[in-house]
Amino acid sequence: MGERVRSDEVRVQDLESPEAGESPAGRRGVRATASRTSRRRRPRLGLYALLALTIIATDAPLVWMFLSSLKPDTENAAYPPTILPKTVTLANYENLFQISQFGTYLRNSFLVASAATLVTIVVGLTAAYSLSRFRFWFLRGLGELSLFAYMIPPILILVPIARIITGLGLGNNLLALVILYSATLLPFALWVLRSYFNGIPLDLEHAAMIDGCTRFGAFYRVVVPQALPGIISTGIFTFNAAWSEYLFASTLMTSPSKTTLSPGLALLFDQTGVYSWGVLMAGSVLVTVPVILLFIVAQRQLVEGFGEGALKG
Amino acid sequence: MTSPSTPRRLGRLRQGGGVSDRTLALLLVLPTAVLLLAFSVYPFLQAARDSLYTIPVATREATWTGLDNYRELFRQESIRAAFGRTLIWTVSNVVVQTALGLAIALLLNARLRGQSIARGLVIFPYMVPAVVVAAVFRFTMNDITGIANYLWMKLPWVDEPIYFLSDPDIVLLVVTLVNCWKYTPFMVIVLLARLQTVPTELYEAARIDGAGARHLFWYVTLPWIMPVLLVALLLRTIWTANDFDVIYLLAFGGPLGATTTVPIEIRRLAFSQEDLGLASALAVVMALFVALASFVYLRLYHRSEAHLQ
Repeated sequence: MGERVRSDEVRVQDLESPEAGESPAGRRGVRATASRTSRRRRPRLGLYALLALTIIATDAPLVWMFLSSLKPDTENAAYPPTILPKTVTLANYENLFQISQFGTYLRNSFLVASAATLVTIVVGLTAAYSLSRFRFWFLRGLGELSLFAYMIPPILILVPIARIITGLGLGNNLLALVILYSATLLPFALWVLRSYFNGIPLDLEHAAMIDGCTRFGAFYRVVVPQALPGIISTGIFTFNAAWSEYLFASTLMTSPSKTTLSPGLALLFDQTGVYSWGVLMAGSVLVTVPVILLFIVAQRQLVEGFGEGALKG
Repeated sequence: MTSPSTPRRLGRLRQGGGVSDRTLALLLVLPTAVLLLAFSVYPFLQAARDSLYTIPVATREATWTGLDNYRELFRQESIRAAFGRTLIWTVSNVVVQTALGLAIALLLNARLRGQSIARGLVIFPYMVPAVVVAAVFRFTMNDITGIANYLWMKLPWVDEPIYFLSDPDIVLLVVTLVNCWKYTPFMVIVLLARLQTVPTELYEAARIDGAGARHLFWYVTLPWIMPVLLVALLLRTIWTANDFDVIYLLAFGGPLGATTTVPIEIRRLAFSQEDLGLASALAVVMALFVALASFVYLRLYHRSEAHLQ
């Protein structure tokens, strides 16, 4: 953790070239010769062009999805295609809720993702605390176990999982998804939260306990608030993963009333085609919007927490 | 970075409760242990057991057949082909994602204006659900009304449309590119986080020695990000080899099996061909690759950590 540095402090370019409008004269004397600066200005424009190209390549498909969801189907099938909708309509969205039980899918996914997030965070917090504060052989074992679980892809255990879930009498029950998502997302939560706990000095806890807090009090009042950025990024990652999950949900939930968003949206197209591209895009927009909102709210924590957690044991 | 070997006991300050450290530590991890054992380890052992049996779906009465399923794996043409496709799919995905991811991370780290917004815009596809990715690209690349073909045909030297998802010769390439669209941001995120921790002194020292931009990259930046790069590469390799959602929902394993990689073959064996034993054997073989990779991952991780201390 110690080496994590604010992004502004350490930058390659900071040392190499003055920023275009930021009093280049003042810096030039110290850092670069005049010829160097003029040579660098053009590459810099090139970098902006590259950046623009990257942004277009990444986001154009999503913009297209949104625009198409507002076009009537005649326009979506028109040749040549229109970029902006000639007629803006919400008919695709209305249609979506008529031809499929999209409201139910939304509700199911929201319930499952919220519950799975809550379970993952609570269970993950206690376990990560234990992993960070104690050293016993079984904790070491658990660490390795969770690494194995982090790596094992769902498709490899799908068949036995289906059997276990049926055996528990949880077939076609949303609770099964809550349990499975918690179990599969826990290893990631453990990594991130433990790395946050490792960065919180024991002295803080000691001080709180000397001041009369119980150990749980010290955990709850001192440790948890310190780890809040990690908790937020884990929570968002978990929610997003559960919100998007396809394989388990499509295999285990068999009735329309238990279908979640990903399999529900996949019902709108198959190998041979699609009922209506406009309706499919409307559904895609509705699945994506909550994810966008979460992402905007917590982009920073997410990126940092993720960068840490994905790679650190 | 905290050294994992530091003892971190709270022992002597224990107050009230009357529970020993050992019991407390155990109680705190118990729910996690139960969940992982029940839904990762146990199912995996089940799959390993199933792989030694022939299990007709009708009766569900398993007959012990030893290693027959494993022999069958190498005998069946479709399974061998699936392994070949998985290899192509994995290598091309990982190479493209790593190269693009590194380039974009460097670009986002180059102190351009508006870069925090740019960062958000560029890494967003990683958050988009696989089913949405499939829906959007099936739409843009459909044979009749897709915008991709419209733009392609606009090019002056082009007079043939591309059947992106229905031409078995190119479909794996197309699906690979879409998958890179979704997963390159993962590389960007981890590499960018690492790039932002390069110690300033390293650059200063190198520059005093007269190093140019290219030198700085090869001799300072690259070695610094290498440990993270290796580990990220390994994770992406494992996940790509076993990826199911994007490739399946885009092409359903077709046309003519051209996108049937091992995970999709596992599903086909289990649910269409209803040969649970054979499907399990294939899953076990893939899991062995995962285990091997995890072992390498642990080694790499510990080495990179030791290297930095």
